[in-house]
Amino acid sequence: MLIEQLVMGKPAAKELLYDRYAGAIYTMVLQLVPIRERADDVMVRVFTWSFQHIGTFQTSGYKTLFAWLMRKARELAIKEALPETALTGSELMKQEEGMLQRFYLILPADQQQVFRLSYFKGLSITTIARLLALPEQQINNILGDSMKSFRQFLKDTWN
Amino acid sequence: MELKFYIESGIIESFVLGLASEAEVEELEHMRKLYPELNTEVEFVERRLERAAFDEPAMPPVEVRDRVLQKIRWEQGHAYSDPASNYTFINIQPKDGNHITVHRWWKIFFIIFFIMSKVFLFLAIFYYLKYRMSQDKQGYNLPRQVKQEQVQIAGV
Repeated sequence: MLIEQLVMGKPAAKELLYDRYAGAIYTMVLQLVPIRERADDVMVRVFTWSFQHIGTFQTSGYKTLFAWLMRKARELAIKEALPETALTGSELMKQEEGMLQRFYLILPADQQQVFRLSYFKGLSITTIARLLALPEQQINNILGDSMKSFRQFLKDTWN
Repeated sequence: MELKFYIESGIIESFVLGLASEAEVEELEHMRKLYPELNTEVEFVERRLERAAFDEPAMPPVEVRDRVLQKIRWEQGHAYSDPASNYTFINIQPKDGNHITVHRWWKIFFIIFFIMSKVFLFLAIFYYLKYRMSQDKQGYNLPRQVKQEQVQIAGV
């Protein structure tokens, strides 16, 4: 229903989309971009993009608007994220409070490293393999193990 | 059994988080066509993640909402307007100390004041002339009255 109205371009539907998902998406964005001004910019871009590309939702493979928005938010947030060395500490927000941060902290060291570089930094398997001087297959396996753990983490907490 | 193993591999979580490679995404799409029940599993995973995010929402500042909605209005060609909209007002009035800005009601007040002053001026002139005429009339009648009195005295 909401999707149909969004496709029709109804302003009220756009407002509803923002009001319904802004809080949840902002939570995810802050875990990737801990600087408020930059996180705010990401939010504006995500929702502007969603209004323009709502027609692609049905063919995206996603079943919920939240997951579709979250995917785009991560993509844009990674572009906005600063290197960790550029953060002063006072700008950090929600770094260790978010659900993904908590999940990251319970992982074994090798999975932590690969998951951080993959999810939080947006690096490809090839780049991570080169960075860690490990075979791509090994990186794939480590990431696969972290995804199994993530599945269990989600099921245990929000089933 | 193969499907269960596939689901338990965490491929769906990897897809939902955006970590799956192109080959993995293609494989998942193929598997979803073969096993439509996978779509339900994708939805389950998305819903779990959604619940997790909704459990700890961080509301963005109101300015973000304004910026997003302002973009909608621009796209709608201002057809959609909110009376409480937050436009940026740029004052292009000269600020040299020689100019003042007054409310538009002052314009109406000054027009009424101008008209009323003309009316009062007209009435003042009108009554002044009327007064002068009555004075002149009295001045004309007074010598005649005196003359009549003298004639009466002479007759006596």
